[in-house]
Amino acid sequence: MKFGALAAVQMVSFSLNPGEILGMIGPNGAGKTTLLNCVIGIHKPTSGKIFLNQIDITGMKPHKICRMGLAKTSQIMEPFMAMTVFENVLVGALHGGRMRMRPATEQTEKVIELVGLKQYAYKLSGSIPVPARRRLELARALASGANILLLDENMAGLNPHEIDEALEILKKIRNSGKSLIVIEHIMRVVMGISDRIIVLNYGSKIAEGFPEEVVNDETVIKAYLGGKLSSLKVA
Amino acid sequence: MYTVFVQTIINGLLLGGVYAAYSAGFSLIFGVMGVVNLAHGELIMLGAFTSYWLFAYFNLDPYLSAPFAMILLFLFGYVVQKYIINRVIGQPHIMSYILTFGLHLMIANIAIKMWTQDFRSITTSYSGANAAIWGLNIPLARLVTFMVALLVTWVLWFFLMRTETGRAIRATAQDKEVARLMGVDIRNIYAITFGLGAAITGLSGSVMSPFVIISPEMGLEYTIIAFCVVVLGGMGYMPGALVGGLVLGVAQSLAATYLNAGVSVAITFIILFIMLVICPKGILGKGSVA
Amino acid sequence: MNFKIDRIILIIFLGITAALAFLPNFVESEYLLRLITVVIFWIGIAGCWNMMSGYTGYIDFGPVVYFGIGSYVVAIAMTKYGIPFFPSLFISGLISGSVAFLVGIPTLRLKGAYFAIATFAFAEAMKQIALEFDRTFSVSFFQGSDGITLPISGHDNSFFFYCVLPVTFLVVLAHYYIEHSKFGYGLKAIKEAETAAEISGVNTTANKLGAYVSSAFFLGLFGAIEAYWITYITPSDVFNVQKTVQMVIMTLLGGMGTFLGPVVGATFLTLISESLGARFVEYYLIMIGGIIIVAILIMPNGIIGSLKIRKKLRFI
Repeated sequence: MKFGALAAVQMVSFSLNPGEILGMIGPNGAGKTTLLNCVIGIHKPTSGKIFLNQIDITGMKPHKICRMGLAKTSQIMEPFMAMTVFENVLVGALHGGRMRMRPATEQTEKVIELVGLKQYAYKLSGSIPVPARRRLELARALASGANILLLDENMAGLNPHEIDEALEILKKIRNSGKSLIVIEHIMRVVMGISDRIIVLNYGSKIAEGFPEEVVNDETVIKAYLGGKLSSLKVA
Repeated sequence: MYTVFVQTIINGLLLGGVYAAYSAGFSLIFGVMGVVNLAHGELIMLGAFTSYWLFAYFNLDPYLSAPFAMILLFLFGYVVQKYIINRVIGQPHIMSYILTFGLHLMIANIAIKMWTQDFRSITTSYSGANAAIWGLNIPLARLVTFMVALLVTWVLWFFLMRTETGRAIRATAQDKEVARLMGVDIRNIYAITFGLGAAITGLSGSVMSPFVIISPEMGLEYTIIAFCVVVLGGMGYMPGALVGGLVLGVAQSLAATYLNAGVSVAITFIILFIMLVICPKGILGKGSVA
Repeated sequence: MNFKIDRIILIIFLGITAALAFLPNFVESEYLLRLITVVIFWIGIAGCWNMMSGYTGYIDFGPVVYFGIGSYVVAIAMTKYGIPFFPSLFISGLISGSVAFLVGIPTLRLKGAYFAIATFAFAEAMKQIALEFDRTFSVSFFQGSDGITLPISGHDNSFFFYCVLPVTFLVVLAHYYIEHSKFGYGLKAIKEAETAAEISGVNTTANKLGAYVSSAFFLGLFGAIEAYWITYITPSDVFNVQKTVQMVIMTLLGGMGTFLGPVVGATFLTLISESLGARFVEYYLIMIGGIIIVAILIMPNGIIGSLKIRKKLRFI
């Protein structure tokens, strides 16, 4: 993927196995968001291919990719402000899940229950607090019935208690058989939940492996942490 | 045959110069604030009327009354922006369209009330004067306006690039939040920008007054042309207004000579439509698309 | 929960429409019947604009083009091909819709001011083409600024009342459908955040196109009805930008993207112009300008929109 002469992400290849949580870390500007935006079709990659269950989805429109079971939450939260939380999630179920009104409503209720947004369901999404908006992003993606969820810093700005709750939700989602890719800066989250981790820096993949492998990887420590290992030990 | 073609091109360029002169302010206002000012033509009308009345009562030459038009319209623009348009900045686009359209209705109709719907013109000694060179006719008044267009574009460019206020305006255009953090008074900058846009538009109305028909209802037509010019050149890109104006002027002139006069208007809109669909950034590709 | 209120409003609306259907039997005064027809006519037209721009947030500044196309299709079909009114009416709608489909594909990719200007340019271009086509190509088709005279209908006002009422009824019903359907939620999502809508699975192109084409279809019908009513059309009349302005202002006053917005706005403005326009012609436009400015500054969501926010009603 290139922006003009600048290659934002290059030569990155990775795969995701069913039922797996893949953590993706890297310093700011490493190209994590760009990479995921390529995957879901917001950006068209200048070269390279993306496959979903052996089907080439490179360059497909975002709504098609979503309907094929790949949904992403956005780092900058974009709720449909003038709509209620319920209606926000309903859009995901109706359009992403290609459902009719009645089943979509049922699906929406289930998802809202699952992510714990029930108390806000009939509030305008523009008026709810940030942690709830983060969950709303997640709920909208879930409602589409996607099997693979890409979470782009879905826990940014949450306090430790809220993070614990969010982690519980993610585990529930994984246990229901879905795969996740999680971009997160909070090490506790990534280390605690990921089955595998890949590390990006300057648009390239510099490491891949189990959490404990990555933590001890020389290049990662150098590039990502400037040599300070201690902050990783939180995990 | 050859002379006709060259004459057509010259007419087109001169016409385009006039277009460019009165479109620069439109582009400035859009570029900085994202406001599509549908009352733009009324600013031209007010500029032209300033010259008209100064001519009628004091026999002041339109080129001498131009500074008065500039000052008056600066004040007018400043006040309108500060107390009215500022209140819809940051709201959906439609708000600024409708608001400025309301202004258009009010200004135009108050003008009709005050000055009647009569068509007026300023007849100076040079109004119909032409310079004849190599069998070509060059209307002098239009030539002067063309020069003014070049001058306005250059001065505006210089102002934006080299002065403190100009820098503040550009900073605000790029990112108003950051500009605010840097201590720029956004509301004031907006008011100054609108005043400035209004002033150069009033100036163009004033220098056009020797050769156009002046009436309270003249505005809308000019707004529409300014629209086209600015889109052709690239919305919000200052030198674009000059390029857009010249291109449109030549295209219209060619259509009028080789097809028929009515078609030239159709051509304007067809070009505008195609341009937007194919290349919304304008001919030079430097306009903003947002 | 709120669906109950929605049902009630729908029933009230159906009731009013049904009652209106008997109106011509009771109204003696031709003037009054004509006025009511005009109000209903404008509710429908403003509704067409609201259907597209109110719900998707894509500001269409050239809806009048589909009205004009409707007028011209019906005029040409009736005078040149001798097709009776009702089939011609239907053809008008279809052609308006088809043109919208072709124009919508490239223009709906544009955002914000660009979409607004492109639609405006298209409308003006069509007007100029209708004006100049014949002279440029030496044919007699649109008949330029001479205009076309349609066959005199010989029908009275109640005939046109019955033409306008069902079309407006369908337009308002379409609003109800938009408020409660998958399609409508797609449109509203596009208005709020288009990229987010897209990654949530909304086929944005298809949804926008759907709204644009249906709006054009109904506008074509209205254009055709008006042409037959007035029996004489010219490009400057039927493609008049003033019509666009009126639709926009009515909807905005009533409340964009609301069910009752166009109904309230169109009724309010038509009645004002009818009562003030006749007596204070000179001040009328100044006042309209003033009303617009004040409305935008103190009530940016329109009458219904403000009510909706204050009373926390989900629908109306």
